[in-house]
Amino acid sequence: MELKQTISTARRRFGATVVAAVALACMAGTAIAAEFKKEEWVLVASVINTTNPYMISNIEGAKAMSAKLGIPLEIVNSNNSSQTSISSILAVLASGKKPIMFVNTVASSDAPTIVDAVGKAGGFVTIWWNKPADYHPADVGPHFVAFQKHPGVSSGRCGAKAIGDALGGKGGVVMLPGVQDSTTSQTRVAGFEAEIKENYPGIKILDSRPSNWDPQLGAKNARDLIVKFGSDINGVWAADDGMQIGAMQSFENAGLLDKVKFASDGLYPTTLEDIKSGRGGNAIVGETFHRGYMASAVGLYTAYLAASGQMDPATQPLDKRESLFKLSCLTPANYKEYLKYDEPDAPAKFIEQLEKVGPWAAEPMPLVGGGAEEMPK
Amino acid sequence: MQFVLPKEWKGPAALIASIVVLAIVFTFLNPRFGSLENFRNILFQVAVPLIIIVGTTLVIQLGSIDLSVQGIMGAAGMAWILLSANTRLETDYGIWAWVIGIGIGLTLGLLAGALHSLIKVPSFVVTLGTWYIGLGIGIILYGDAMLPSLKSDVLMAWPTKLTLGLPNAFWLAAVILGAGVLLSRYTHFGRGVLAIGNSETIASNTGMPVHTIKIIAFTLAGGLSALAGILATMQLGAGSPDLGSGQLFTVIPAAVIGGTALSGGEGGIMRSAVGVFLLIMLNNGLVLAGVNPAYQSGVFGAILIAAIVAVARPDRGILKIEK
Repeated sequence: MELKQTISTARRRFGATVVAAVALACMAGTAIAAEFKKEEWVLVASVINTTNPYMISNIEGAKAMSAKLGIPLEIVNSNNSSQTSISSILAVLASGKKPIMFVNTVASSDAPTIVDAVGKAGGFVTIWWNKPADYHPADVGPHFVAFQKHPGVSSGRCGAKAIGDALGGKGGVVMLPGVQDSTTSQTRVAGFEAEIKENYPGIKILDSRPSNWDPQLGAKNARDLIVKFGSDINGVWAADDGMQIGAMQSFENAGLLDKVKFASDGLYPTTLEDIKSGRGGNAIVGETFHRGYMASAVGLYTAYLAASGQMDPATQPLDKRESLFKLSCLTPANYKEYLKYDEPDAPAKFIEQLEKVGPWAAEPMPLVGGGAEEMPK
Repeated sequence: MQFVLPKEWKGPAALIASIVVLAIVFTFLNPRFGSLENFRNILFQVAVPLIIIVGTTLVIQLGSIDLSVQGIMGAAGMAWILLSANTRLETDYGIWAWVIGIGIGLTLGLLAGALHSLIKVPSFVVTLGTWYIGLGIGIILYGDAMLPSLKSDVLMAWPTKLTLGLPNAFWLAAVILGAGVLLSRYTHFGRGVLAIGNSETIASNTGMPVHTIKIIAFTLAGGLSALAGILATMQLGAGSPDLGSGQLFTVIPAAVIGGTALSGGEGGIMRSAVGVFLLIMLNNGLVLAGVNPAYQSGVFGAILIAAIVAVARPDRGILKIEK
């Protein structure tokens, strides 16, 4: 009986050892098959246009990443058009090399087409900022490595806090959202409105005029709002700096710049100059800090880890597939802390940091959450 | 009104009447609409499209179309700001900034006119090409450096500054408009444009210099788009290749609404200018009236159709857009 049991145990052990050995052999085989050869790959960075400072910074990050990894880079300029974006990406994919891709999508609906094409080409892609709400990397497959963004709600809250505090909790503000049906604009608007409602009951939102991320339209709407509300406007919030630049010019032309406080998102170089110089009696009171080069570097690096087999997207937790990265509130009091991130060698330094700590822990934009962005009630 | 006014005035008069009706309604909805401040605001906003529409109208009267407006605006605006005192470069070439900025527009216009007239490339295609060439020049000039802002407070303040109670930007547009009307009505060139638009064959058979007239019209249109780009840059205080964004779809509808038929040989610069006023005022009025932004585009379209139907009813033949 005892002998029987021993033999049976020995058989089971032998069987388990064989299974383990076969499994190991298979894994080794996979590893050999998937050995990462740089010359088979190409980095691709697709941006919405090449005139917006944020997009220019996206390109800068991609160039620095290409230099660091020693993999050639293709830039796709979508010229603000989904059609151009998709057809240009398809053209790059047809070149035969496998893509490691970062895409700043023109419209949410572009994401599935692009992800699908990248999958067929044997590549890996990270999408930034826009994707359909019900389209999740985990459902699609490992080639859709991740969707990444900064939370828009935090951005709106930063602006609301800055204006609310600067006005001492009392006064009238006007809002200049971006393109009305853009998720980015909608979340920023929701954050702004929620913060005002919750913490600054003495602030009244007088009006809101979507200005399509366009400085000219921002300037035009600001002019109309100045006529409509005159000196009742104490604060102006814009969903990005482009529109704020236009709006500030209109208030300056109307001789009102030093009577109104501004807050927005993106800290464009021009905006930083205005904060430094204290333009309009320190008219700008709040901004958010995030940089395009950081987004493209994190996006490309995440896709690179998947492509090179150092990370398996399929086994990652949700927050690493649909990621929200920290957004810093910047004010005239703390802006100096962020100047180092605008030095000429900042992209290269940021990438060195990525290599050390991985894409989810790099300062100043560590991972802070995952899944769909929660809208305030 | 139909019985009192001569035929050629009926269209514009009805259009002006519809502007007056809209102005009364908007003032009723928000009294600030009728204020002097808003009047100046509207005049400031019409300045850029008014300058463009002088050229647009001449080209449409020929029976052609000029799509290059936005590209040329971007190229000229960027060239002008980089050659004027700005935050990016230490250069200030003064008057040469204007010469080169407008020169870019004239050159692209000349190129489009010559290709269209001499090699018979459709104007739709050739000006689409010059649009992108202009945009390309703008993007190259923009590069990847900092957004250039104007340094000179005098230049930045100039468009808004009041002369005889009205903003300088509007005076500049008014001078261009006046010159355009004189050119169109009282010169061989102006009459030639209409003649070619009516029938190129007849115009050619009567010995009219058809090629020259066409090339001049496109060159002028290019130069005026460039001037508009410079003015828009001054208004914004900063340069951007996308500066002209949306202008094409203000000026072409404005010309058609004013009664300048896309088939050519009809209409006039003043009529198109009235169309510009209608579109700009409508947008301004909707903001002041507090129309919910979500409904603004829809309401804009509905009022526009209503206004045009009311205006055009007796003159359906003139509009020639029933197809």
